[in-house]
Amino acid sequence: MAVLQMQRISICALKKDRKQILELLQRRGAVELTDLPLQDQVFGKPDTQEQKSLFEKAASTASQAVEVLNEYVPEKSSMFAMFEGRRAISAKEYDALCGKRDEISETASHLVSLSKKIAENRAELVKLQTQLDQLAPWAGLDVSMRFTGTRTTAAFIGSFAEPLTLEELYRRVAELAPEVQAVNIDLISQSNEQTCIMAVVPRGDAPALEEALRSMGFMRPPSPSKLPPSEQIGILSQQAKEAEVAVQSAQAEIISQAKARESLLFLSDYYTMRAERYQAIGCLSQSRSTFLLTGYIPKPDAAALEAALTSRFDLAVELEDPGEEEEVPCALRNNGFAEPVEGVLESYGLPLRSEIDPTPIMACFYYFLFGLMFSDFGYGALLCIGTGLVLLKFKNIEPGLRKMVKMFFFCGISTAAWGIVFSSYFGDVVNVVSRTFLGHEVSIPPLWFLPLNDPMKLLVFSMAVGVVHLFTGLGIQLYLHIKHRDYKSALCKVIFWYMLVGGLIVFGLSTDMLVSVLQLPFAVPAGIGSVFGWVAAAGAVGIVFTNGDSANPAVRFAQGLYELYNVTGYLSDILSYSRLLALGLATGVVGSVINQMGSMGGKTVPGVILFVLVFLVGHILNFGIELLGAYVHCNRLQFVEFFGKFYEGGSRPFSPFAAHTKYFKFKEEN
Amino acid sequence: MMANMGIAFAILGAALAACLAGAGSAIGVGIAGQAAAGVTTEDPAKFSKVLILQLLPGTQGIYGLLIAFLCLSNVGVIGTPVEISLAKGVMYFFACLPMAIAGLMSAIYQGKASVSCISMVAKRPDQFGKAMIFPAMVETYAILALLISLLAISGVGAINI
Repeated sequence: MAVLQMQRISICALKKDRKQILELLQRRGAVELTDLPLQDQVFGKPDTQEQKSLFEKAASTASQAVEVLNEYVPEKSSMFAMFEGRRAISAKEYDALCGKRDEISETASHLVSLSKKIAENRAELVKLQTQLDQLAPWAGLDVSMRFTGTRTTAAFIGSFAEPLTLEELYRRVAELAPEVQAVNIDLISQSNEQTCIMAVVPRGDAPALEEALRSMGFMRPPSPSKLPPSEQIGILSQQAKEAEVAVQSAQAEIISQAKARESLLFLSDYYTMRAERYQAIGCLSQSRSTFLLTGYIPKPDAAALEAALTSRFDLAVELEDPGEEEEVPCALRNNGFAEPVEGVLESYGLPLRSEIDPTPIMACFYYFLFGLMFSDFGYGALLCIGTGLVLLKFKNIEPGLRKMVKMFFFCGISTAAWGIVFSSYFGDVVNVVSRTFLGHEVSIPPLWFLPLNDPMKLLVFSMAVGVVHLFTGLGIQLYLHIKHRDYKSALCKVIFWYMLVGGLIVFGLSTDMLVSVLQLPFAVPAGIGSVFGWVAAAGAVGIVFTNGDSANPAVRFAQGLYELYNVTGYLSDILSYSRLLALGLATGVVGSVINQMGSMGGKTVPGVILFVLVFLVGHILNFGIELLGAYVHCNRLQFVEFFGKFYEGGSRPFSPFAAHTKYFKFKEEN
Repeated sequence: MMANMGIAFAILGAALAACLAGAGSAIGVGIAGQAAAGVTTEDPAKFSKVLILQLLPGTQGIYGLLIAFLCLSNVGVIGTPVEISLAKGVMYFFACLPMAIAGLMSAIYQGKASVSCISMVAKRPDQFGKAMIFPAMVETYAILALLISLLAISGVGAINI
């Protein structure tokens, strides 16, 4: 139930066993390798970069092939696919697939090349289509578009950027070039944008006609085809058809390979694993026939691994406790109740070697505070049922995700419990439904009180929870100081603060002003209050005179005063817990707003339908937003207020040499 | 005439709480959404993470709604009508102000913090837990304002003027 103790492991073995030993270590995933800087005449470092990148490339080809498959044969995945986790693969399956790896590799490259072919042919199709579109207006022309005439006649093939009739054309030519006698104009096509024509005149009149046509806006086609357009169109359509067929056959081929998906996924994992193994080899030091490997291993796993290694290979294993100065990676192990919030701790930072694992204590507060902020029986029950079903149904879920789901399960229980305490069932749905649809109002009495009727009471309670939370944090600091036999720090960094803050609180509770502001039902007797006032004063004096470290007494006193100024920090920390009240009320009040809006239709059939709709949409939204709020602010209270009192964190997480696969789990050989 | 102004002031307060806090949230969620869309273009897998960060400045609008609703139901615009004196109406108006103003400003600045944290998650997705805390720090002040508005509104209801 705490930070796992790490041991340094060194293995010296024969090079011929290297592959098997590394495979075993990878499957066990218990050792974090350290890069051994040992290099001399005997030991050298193998260069594995090239091999590693080769395997990485193979892995990425396999992933690409899977992507190609996913594009053409999409895999149906359920909404809950994320919970399903990686499928475990047996040693037998592993060996069978391993034997076929060259074949699968070929399939992968083939799939990738097919997808490339499809892309190329699609580009070709676009190109052909543009050409066809350009030729379409010229389809009626039965000579080449480059035709300029015969020996005695000149031909002009081109277009005008406006719709013109044949009559109009003849008229304009006659107006612009009256000297041209014999001209024949054929209208090839006409649309709103352009008119395509072919004009034929005797060679002698050609310059005059050209001049006339140009002034009318005559344009020659931009890329005239050598063949007559009708034939050219035929050829291009044929090519397009071929490209289309190529695309379709490639697609059909890809679809026919759909069954290869599993083996491709395996291949991607397989090569990822091999690349990792080569990275591991890069950490070793090798002589001609032996190699040396060092790393960290959690102490509980060490004996089993040692036994497994020595029983199978000729090697020497050495285990030792790491030195004081060493930067040891950190791994946590907790029981089922505390384990789920490990993820929250990880996102802040793992404990340093001098610190303890605060997870178990944090877990209690986490569930408690989360429930207090979310505080609705309905929402809590929903959260519980949802996460509970996921946990029951998906046994194979990834460990990190399972922790999180489990955390929300516990939070859901707490939320439902607080909902009963404050009588919040989807806001006030019981009251609203009974009043609107049943005629007489029914309400479930709260176990304690209704927060909206007495917010001050909840505020005081929230701050009291805050004081307990903060003092627990300080208590952990005290424990750490005592554990490290640093009694001076224990006294001046913790005990004096307990005296000052605790004394001030009790003293405050004996004053009329605070009692009336907080509407407390009791007051601490003045006598006891003044005693605690003196305790607080003693604490303050202690802080001022012990917290400086300068040689100059005046500076030391100033440092002490500055330290005392931190008392404002405690004030703001305690006030910060008022968010428990604000968020708790927000859940209930927004829920009530939704119920009230829903009940506006009254006791009619459309009214009931309206209520059901508003209820569903409104509460789903409120559930989501309040869940997010409770999660974020619960984290904040832990990170800022609680950890601020004792915790630093920042250890390197333990990242063992293991099979970091994406799709399959490779079980330990049986 | 003046006797009826009480309820008008109370509604003005409620309207301000809903409008200003809502507008602030709209701005905050809006700018965070732009950043989130940019990140999702590059890496769709980060959608859920950046969505959560985008939503963080959205709570002020809900707090504003909450205060507006409480105020309206206390003065009887929703539910059973009550007689509200001018003085009491003005009190409700002032009680709504903390939520309105702090909601507006904190949502905008929380949105800006969210934008930065979204780019942080884009580069270091493993630091999501920390990225969530920075915008949440800004929200503290909206929560404090909510608290004061809440206490003030429920307190004003008990005063007999």
